[in-house]
Amino acid sequence: MPSIPPYLKAGDTIGITSPAGYITLDEIRPSIALMESWGYQVRVGSTIGKRDFTFGGTDEERADDLQHMLDDRSVKAIMCARGGYGSVRIVDRLKWNMFSKQPKWVIGFSDITVLHSHINHNLGIATIHSKMCNSFPDDWAKADDPQKATIDSIRKALSGEKMRYEFASNPFNRAGSTMGALVGGNLKTLESLAGSSSNIVTKGKILFVEDTGEYLYSIDRMFWNLLRTGKLAQLAGLIIGGFKVKPSEDPAEEFGKNLQEIVLEKLKETDYPVCFDFPVGHQRNNFALKCGARHKLAVKADECSLMEII
Amino acid sequence: MIKTPPYLKPGDTIGIVCPSGYMSPSKMAECIRVLHEEWGYKVKLGRTAGSESTTYFSGTDSERLSDLQDMLDDDEVHAVLCARGGYGMTRIIDGLSFKKFRKQPKWIIGFSDVTILHSHLYSNYYIASLHAPMAAAFNDAGYVNRFVQSLRSAIEGKWARYTCEPHALNRTGEAIGELIGGNLSLLANAVGTDSDIKTRGRILFLEDVGEYLYNIDRMLYQLKRNGKLSKLAGLIIGGFTELKDTERPFGKEVYEIISDIVKEYDYPVCYGFPVSHEKENYALKIGVGYKLKVGKGRVVLEE
Repeated sequence: MPSIPPYLKAGDTIGITSPAGYITLDEIRPSIALMESWGYQVRVGSTIGKRDFTFGGTDEERADDLQHMLDDRSVKAIMCARGGYGSVRIVDRLKWNMFSKQPKWVIGFSDITVLHSHINHNLGIATIHSKMCNSFPDDWAKADDPQKATIDSIRKALSGEKMRYEFASNPFNRAGSTMGALVGGNLKTLESLAGSSSNIVTKGKILFVEDTGEYLYSIDRMFWNLLRTGKLAQLAGLIIGGFKVKPSEDPAEEFGKNLQEIVLEKLKETDYPVCFDFPVGHQRNNFALKCGARHKLAVKADECSLMEII
Repeated sequence: MIKTPPYLKPGDTIGIVCPSGYMSPSKMAECIRVLHEEWGYKVKLGRTAGSESTTYFSGTDSERLSDLQDMLDDDEVHAVLCARGGYGMTRIIDGLSFKKFRKQPKWIIGFSDVTILHSHLYSNYYIASLHAPMAAAFNDAGYVNRFVQSLRSAIEGKWARYTCEPHALNRTGEAIGELIGGNLSLLANAVGTDSDIKTRGRILFLEDVGEYLYNIDRMLYQLKRNGKLSKLAGLIIGGFTELKDTERPFGKEVYEIISDIVKEYDYPVCYGFPVSHEKENYALKIGVGYKLKVGKGRVVLEE
């Protein structure tokens, strides 16, 4: 059973750090204001406003800031300010002994998939896959419904509400009902962790994947990596989130299979439920998911649901 | 001992297949002509070479699989040239049978997407293969250049000795080991699979094309975190061409990225070796023993 960090109470502190790309303090102000309005205190890490080209500081600086947040007992949750690239460069520098004794929520997605997978694999502690500081609306009052709902799902996850999502069925879905711990994240990042100490473990679990800006052939090759490393054989279920496909530059080089076909042809020897278009990914509809927590996935002809269970 | 396939004699047959992307007959015509008329080999065209496929691939997975399988098993074929790369070997490799090929190995020739087959053959069957220019390199009189000519020398069994200019980031030294490697994206994609590359005690060479700088960094971290860079005999960095950068620049040139990642080790490293998606692409025998000398004035790689 995964360990669930304590949910947040009013007055608890959320730390903000940038383990990957660089971000300014101005860019995260809306997220600070909103999280404070939820009744939490916010501590801004030393990487915010730091810059080493594309990174939010040097590897040392980013590792130190995250390490400090992991070890500081007054910080109850760590929100990664943005993704980009860089988490894999620091993950092997981190010490997890304090964190594993006193787990806290680590929050983010995209490049932060490195941390989700690493923590899930090595420590069995639940994490939150969700939007980050750079996706909070500048003006909450003017935000539209999907923006509000997705950001509010972070608040719900942190406060201990059980997650429950209903979403439309896709004709390519494979129906069924299943239960298991949720794992997953950005597909390209998961591929790049294969074989490493942060490798994702999927046996008996509900796997979700999403990606953006990749060619279809590359997406195909990544699913082959999952298949050939045995990660698709013994799933409880598979959730396909948003995939923003990069169009082929040469019309003569059209791949000839769509995303659904690419996925389903890898699953011929399995019979677990599969759903497409789950609202997770590099898109507006990107809801908070508790990685490591047990969920029930129901894929039906008319409707699908994903529900956190005890 | 590595199993080295027999070298070719005049009159031997080279089979040509397209195990991945589609290639039009006109683009491989010059290669076929040169192999036959100038180099003195017979050519046997597979069904996927110059096929009538209208998709990205030269045929369906089963068509590409059976064509390559037939070439592997055909007693009359003495070497198999992959006419081009692209993408698709990954989709068929687990379907290939090497039962007969193991007993009667022959040279498999190609690079880029063919990297996965090279790595698969070396890791599972310990059979040497040939990372070398493919059909398009013959066009526009390309076949007279020393890179395509190095393919000819390699299949004839001549021992290779290549030199290249020094690079400021080179780490000098001497290494002896079996040569392995190829396209970085393909090697990263194969990690953890049955085709995963073995690097310990070997000389590793890498090249890539069209990738983002941050992704090159990430793939190298993947190799590093899998222990694939720590125990090398030596490292050869080829061309990393047509690279892209993000809106916020990565801040390092590609060779600096690589140099940073291997700075904690002490084996010899050379940059700018002629193995790439450009014209500069020497034939390299995967699995065969080489000596790499990275000197201040010159880099030499010899069998």
